[in-house]
Amino acid sequence: MVVNNLKLLVGGVQLRDGVTTITDILGKMFVRAGLHVLAMEKGYASTIYGAHQYDPVVVSETPPLSYGDDRTDILVALEFDTNPDVQPQPNRDTILRHGKNLTDGGVLLYDSTTGVVDTSDLEARGVKVFPLPARQIALRELKREVVKNTVVTGALLRLIEFDMDYALFGRYLEERFAKRGREIVELNLEAARRGRAVIEEVMKAHGWADVGYRLEPRPVETPMVLLNGNEALSMGAILAGCRFYAGYPITPASSILEFMEAHLPRYNGRALQGQNERESIRAAIGASITGVRSAIGSSGPGISLKVEEFGVAGVTETPIVIIDTQRAGPSTGMPTKPEQGDLAMAVYAGHGEIPRIVLAAGTVEECYTMAFEAFDLADKYQCPVFLLTDLTLADGRKNLPEAFFAQHRRPVVRHGLLREADLKGDGYRRYAVTESGISPRNVPGVPGAIFKMSGSEHDEMGMVTTDPPKRKAMHEKRMRKMQTYLKEDVKPPQVTGSPDGVPLLVGWGSTKLPLLDAHRRLREDGLETAVVYFTHLWPLPVHLVRPLLQRGSTVIVVEGNYTGQLADLIQQECLIETRRILKYNGRPFYTSDITGGVRQLLANGTRVVRVGDRAPTVVLETVPEGD
Amino acid sequence: MATTPAAAAKVWEQNATPRHRIQWCPGCGDFGVLAALKMALARLELMPHEVLLVGGIGCSGQIRNYLNGNGFHGAHGAPLAYATGAKMANPELTVITLAGDGDTLAIGMENFVHVSRRDPHVTLIIMNNGVYGLTKGQNSPTAGLGQTMEVHTEETPPFVDPLRLALVSGASFVAQSFSGDPKHCAEIYAEAITHNGFAVVNDFSPCVTYNKFNTYEWYKEHVEDIPEGHDPSSRDAAWALLDDFDRRGRLPVGVVYRAPRKKKPHGRLPIWDEEFTDVDPTPMLRPFR
Repeated sequence: MVVNNLKLLVGGVQLRDGVTTITDILGKMFVRAGLHVLAMEKGYASTIYGAHQYDPVVVSETPPLSYGDDRTDILVALEFDTNPDVQPQPNRDTILRHGKNLTDGGVLLYDSTTGVVDTSDLEARGVKVFPLPARQIALRELKREVVKNTVVTGALLRLIEFDMDYALFGRYLEERFAKRGREIVELNLEAARRGRAVIEEVMKAHGWADVGYRLEPRPVETPMVLLNGNEALSMGAILAGCRFYAGYPITPASSILEFMEAHLPRYNGRALQGQNERESIRAAIGASITGVRSAIGSSGPGISLKVEEFGVAGVTETPIVIIDTQRAGPSTGMPTKPEQGDLAMAVYAGHGEIPRIVLAAGTVEECYTMAFEAFDLADKYQCPVFLLTDLTLADGRKNLPEAFFAQHRRPVVRHGLLREADLKGDGYRRYAVTESGISPRNVPGVPGAIFKMSGSEHDEMGMVTTDPPKRKAMHEKRMRKMQTYLKEDVKPPQVTGSPDGVPLLVGWGSTKLPLLDAHRRLREDGLETAVVYFTHLWPLPVHLVRPLLQRGSTVIVVEGNYTGQLADLIQQECLIETRRILKYNGRPFYTSDITGGVRQLLANGTRVVRVGDRAPTVVLETVPEGD
Repeated sequence: MATTPAAAAKVWEQNATPRHRIQWCPGCGDFGVLAALKMALARLELMPHEVLLVGGIGCSGQIRNYLNGNGFHGAHGAPLAYATGAKMANPELTVITLAGDGDTLAIGMENFVHVSRRDPHVTLIIMNNGVYGLTKGQNSPTAGLGQTMEVHTEETPPFVDPLRLALVSGASFVAQSFSGDPKHCAEIYAEAITHNGFAVVNDFSPCVTYNKFNTYEWYKEHVEDIPEGHDPSSRDAAWALLDDFDRRGRLPVGVVYRAPRKKKPHGRLPIWDEEFTDVDPTPMLRPFR
């Protein structure tokens, strides 16, 4: 019996089968019962309806380190339709896709409304199979098709012997449906009981006492919430003082815009859905020049459209936070699949050179904490600050103690916004050349000064100039802000394990958890490594990174892209040779990708391992001469 | 607000740039716009710190630096979007966008149309001369005004009429002026600036160097004041007026359309530390419990 440690995967047809309805209910209940939930792999398609959707959820007693591998303990297949003329039958879709990943001795629950599926291959591996005519029960017995999800939920609760008295489930139903009448709550409870009855029959018929997995409530020491990276980031942004947010509908950034539209007005802020990606960033720049902490959010294709404005913000010295929830590119790419392909864009995009800061969050927690950092840095350095996340984080849910949000909240302290009293006397220059590169900043409407801000090269007053000494001084002043940042605010990579003489696993973004998990597993297998994880990517703190990386035996950069964009930056800036484990098949990194990749790299001395096939392939890349 | 009208006039009389640094060709129509704007801003008794001038790319956008007042200047085609964001963030500001016909109607057409729909309290003065002057006289979308095209090609399409485009896009104030008559311009600008909504003023501002057709003389022959009896609050009357002037080969000068929309007021967005002290995150956290 495995207690409080399982990976559950619910799959079905998008929009129709209610995959996330079930995982949302269960997630809330698990968290309320003091368990930990990590669901970072929501799989969905760039269609409204009809495609396969799945949502794996890891449940455990202590905070899970990572979302595991393809391995699934309990598989729930919701497809109910069948077409005998078409093989394979549609109601096997989830089973066909995910059944092969079921652990030996795992559990399969599927909707058998339109027929029983041949699962002998799974049963041969000890998988306990539960056909459940959920839709039939809902439609025929309860006369409400919509409760089929509750039938499945009831069955699942029985399988994992969780909340058998429906204390939590009943509470959830009350919250959700009480307003619409008691009978709806009762109907759902009855639906759950019918689902349970079917499971009990099957167990009796097979003589199974249990299914081998159980969840037990834990004492709830501190109230928890369950939320995804976009929600954590949005909340962080609002608490960090963001009062103007502009977006344009794009997966997976849209939920930030939705959150902002729902909550910003409460805090006297405004959220704007732009008519296009350019209007969004331009309006945000407009808001920012009046002193408001402003942000835009988008994903790769949208960020590409905004590139011109990076330069405007950089040269006019207008603070702006640019959130890029990366997805698989290029072009439209795979809108609903993760990738870490935008680092080079964030670092380099645009003509000419501007000061810019690139940060990346790697966990739901960091989505929240780094939002504060992004707004503070934008304010202080008056330049674009990129906050990179990716689809895995954007949609990935995790439970966190409520206290976490209070602990990591920072007060809003505006850096150098001048007030009327500060502007007494003549001589205010918006672009005063300073040692730090940071100039005093006034906002329109405050008596005592005006500014002239321009994307054309300008003098200290903001007047357009092409005078060589003035241009040189101004360009240097702007770029000097990056030196100040490296001195005062940059943070070194986070190091796990002792880096001396061992292979260093280097990463950024949402590979953080798989990296830490791989580090732990490799240690269990007798291989010491250390994880070097970057949150502050540009300008790269070479003075901190180079000595750190030199301590390891070899530098292995793990990235979700084809070329190894961080690896390239490290090679270019630190003159340190890197090896790479790369994945770009539209799925997040699994721990086994990393452990397997490391083994391969160390065994045969290759430079690059490209993972993402079932068996990692090794690509022997030609080493350029003199490298 | 300035203490006295005289003080306001004095403030706006000063150029923000020494006169010798004004880089417009002698006789440029933009001088008329500059003079008229000074008059209008002085008449409205505004102070420079209360005004945000958002300039486009081109000769026209330089006006932001020749006038007193805060100035912002970003990408080509973008000023209306910056202005919208700024006005949304701080409704207390007087936001005036000064851009050319290329900026507004070619590369910035998307903003022109959508800002007309959004109707922020922003004034747009299109300093319209039919050419891209700064880049040495290429045709803009308003090139060809007053000329009949016998043969059309993809390379030389007929001109865009900003007034009609503004009307169909939903602008709540549409006017036209001729910078050869700065006093009249000033009246129209002042009315536009006080209009609580998006105000479009298409200003004929001749390019003396590159537009040898639409010259001062040509405009003087063709402009005609909008008759006193015109009812600018009527959409139908506005269309009829434009059609009537078109038929007669004349260019109306004055307010064509003015119909303020009902608005939900919004305060200035918080910017100072003390405005963030009592922010309660509970409503954001509650749904995730």
